[in-house]
Amino acid sequence: MDILLSTLAISFAPEVVGALLFGSIFGLVFGAIPGLTYTMALALILPLTFTLDHTAAIAMLLSTFIGGASGGTVAAILVGVPGTPSSAATVVDGHRLAKAGKASLTVAMATVVSTIGGLFSLIVMVFSVDFLASVALHFGPAEIFALLIFGMSTICGLAERSIVRGLIGGVIGLMVMIVGQDPIDGVSRLTFGQVPLLQGVELLVAMIALFAIPQVVEAFSQHHSGGETVVDPNTVKVELPRPRYVWGFRWNIFRSSLLGTVIGAIPGTSGTIAAFLAYSQEKKLNKDKVAFGHGNMGGVVAPETSNNAVTGGSMIPVLGLGIPSDPATALILGGLLIHGIQPGPLLFVENPQVIYSIYMLFAASYVIVMIFMLFGVRLFVKALHVPHHLLALAIMVLCIVGSYSVRNSMFDVGTMIVIGFLGYLLQKARIPLTPILLGLVLGPAMEREFRTAMIMSSDDPSIFYTSPTALLFFAFAAIVVFKHTLSGLRSRNNQKKEA
Amino acid sequence: MKSTLKMAMATALLGSAIGLASPALADFPEKPVEMTILFGGSAQTVGQILADGMSKALGSPVVAVSRPGGGGAIGYSHVNGTDADGYSIVWNSNSISTVHYQGNIPFDYKAFAPIARIGSEVPVLAVSTKSGWTDLKSMAEAAKAKGQPLKVGVSGLGSFTHLAAAALFDKLGVKVVYIPYGEGRAPAELLAGRVDAAIQWPGQFIPHVQNNTIAMLCSTGMEKIAIEIDVPTCHEAGATDLNVTMWRGLAAPAGTPDDVIAKLQDAAKATVEDEAFANAARNLGFEPGFLPAAEFGELIASDDAVISELMTTLGLKNK
Repeated sequence: MDILLSTLAISFAPEVVGALLFGSIFGLVFGAIPGLTYTMALALILPLTFTLDHTAAIAMLLSTFIGGASGGTVAAILVGVPGTPSSAATVVDGHRLAKAGKASLTVAMATVVSTIGGLFSLIVMVFSVDFLASVALHFGPAEIFALLIFGMSTICGLAERSIVRGLIGGVIGLMVMIVGQDPIDGVSRLTFGQVPLLQGVELLVAMIALFAIPQVVEAFSQHHSGGETVVDPNTVKVELPRPRYVWGFRWNIFRSSLLGTVIGAIPGTSGTIAAFLAYSQEKKLNKDKVAFGHGNMGGVVAPETSNNAVTGGSMIPVLGLGIPSDPATALILGGLLIHGIQPGPLLFVENPQVIYSIYMLFAASYVIVMIFMLFGVRLFVKALHVPHHLLALAIMVLCIVGSYSVRNSMFDVGTMIVIGFLGYLLQKARIPLTPILLGLVLGPAMEREFRTAMIMSSDDPSIFYTSPTALLFFAFAAIVVFKHTLSGLRSRNNQKKEA
Repeated sequence: MKSTLKMAMATALLGSAIGLASPALADFPEKPVEMTILFGGSAQTVGQILADGMSKALGSPVVAVSRPGGGGAIGYSHVNGTDADGYSIVWNSNSISTVHYQGNIPFDYKAFAPIARIGSEVPVLAVSTKSGWTDLKSMAEAAKAKGQPLKVGVSGLGSFTHLAAAALFDKLGVKVVYIPYGEGRAPAELLAGRVDAAIQWPGQFIPHVQNNTIAMLCSTGMEKIAIEIDVPTCHEAGATDLNVTMWRGLAAPAGTPDDVIAKLQDAAKATVEDEAFANAARNLGFEPGFLPAAEFGELIASDDAVISELMTTLGLKNK
């Protein structure tokens, strides 16, 4: 008990609270602006932590991480452009709800469930860090590949009209990610001898392009033809969710939290996969009158809960094994190492105080971020009062700045514009854009894991079907595809009958 | 008002004319120096601390800018294309040789003027304690007796850890399959028993060695590595004369004036000798070790020859 009390005193010293507040706002801003990510925010803030004492440094890193993981929602819901790839699944229903005048309710709801998801993952982390770290160890290349295939199967649920169109989108996404240096042999593919093409297409740049540019083009053409719909400022009222409303989603929140925490703990996966898996899981279970994809709050709750539950999950291998599971946690690990804190199995024995303060600061970060967001809702919804073509202009500027800043490369700005217009044309051809994003996110990881597994087994494919874990995920994927094909055929038959 | 503006412009012009006339460039730096960083992970973090320290030493900002991708090709190409005035420098490493011989950049290390070596990182060979191997010789004998190639985890094919592993196992005469993992995953793969051994930077193994689940058999450099755990060099452990060390340092485009190089070199020296920098770097598994421009240049050239030879043996050379 003494140790807890002394940790509490250290964890809430004035400079630590200051670091928490600063980190939360910094992360939130980076998360909210499309093209700026919390990975970037962490890289920028890392040098600032050198001079702080270690508790304040941990506070700043964790709050930036958590602020960034929460901020992406705002842009996804209000303008339909995800601030980070992990909030892309939120766009589908979130933006529809905002258009229907429920912007503030949706943002506030997303904030509340994000916090619940994050705190849930913290509790899981506290009680089962050893167990989940050993589960994570069990995931080798073959198992991760199977999990990614399962992730890919969610395309079925995202394809709005037909599975075929969804698959076309997914394949386009996979193809785009082939450009550049291959991840295993370092051979250059489709670069035509051009050095800038060696770096390949950056996921974030492609994401901004796909989601923002078609919207910008649409806004300008509507303005030009005079068909612009102006939102009446009076209809945008500030409304926060009541506890009873949140309670109505309790099972959705529970399932999505659990899913996010587990996915987060597996190295090589990310919040994006968790968000899409949670979305497709809840879509299947949905019994509301409003279908997913047409403005169902459940379609916001699921991805937002699970992508924040990933934050606690991804800290599990960092603390338990000293192994980062993505670039963001790699930066956090670097920050801990600089201060002489070596995460790993012994940290729990030798330095429990550090572990306790990490837990407390993690929880405090979530509470602070939630307070900021709930107060901010009033400000955020003001963005809806701005005429669409002016908002589009602002989005355009942010897109250019964002795509440059990812890798400090003008080449990426060009890529963004080209992909953006291709995205516009694809949207006109009624190819859904979300499956393209899924292809972009999963493609490089799938290739890397598949090829590593094959190298490991000396080109023997049995590595994929002798692992029970891999088989389990392949089976999940097969069930999803089968069910969707079946329901697709049924609805077609019904249409025929009606006709 | 107009005349003051004209005056100001004239003074500015005059000033720049004087600046052009005198090759001494006495007031370098007049604007921020941009330091291009090629990789993420600890390379990026050490680069940021270095930029921080050099800003203080120069009294003018040194800005770390990330240009990752292509195994370093993107960043090297960027800096190679900038003016040779010292305002654009690169946080380089042996990767200048690997990326050149892979055929991804048309120029080699001669396109850059060395400024200073900042320090080095030495890979280690690690195995799971479950394997029962406690030293290099017993591992080599067991592997040969098994008859099957040993599965060895490295960062990526053609990466520095791959080259170090190839040099080591070539000396031991052990057959090996290289499994290309990302840098951070080596301990997990060892603990789970999916690979027999891994060649990686020592930092990530330390907590597991202390927990008695992983053992570090040897380090690939000639000198012992400075960590709290006693690890013999591979040279001592049976791979005679093995000496593979990754250095990191700073370079500017070839043709950068000598006095500018000297100023940057002095700022780098002051930073490396600072206790705070040294401690932070060591915590990240990076051993600070300053070398002035001339000696650094010789090191780059001699390592380039070694890497060229290694990559030819491995069949990784495209140049």
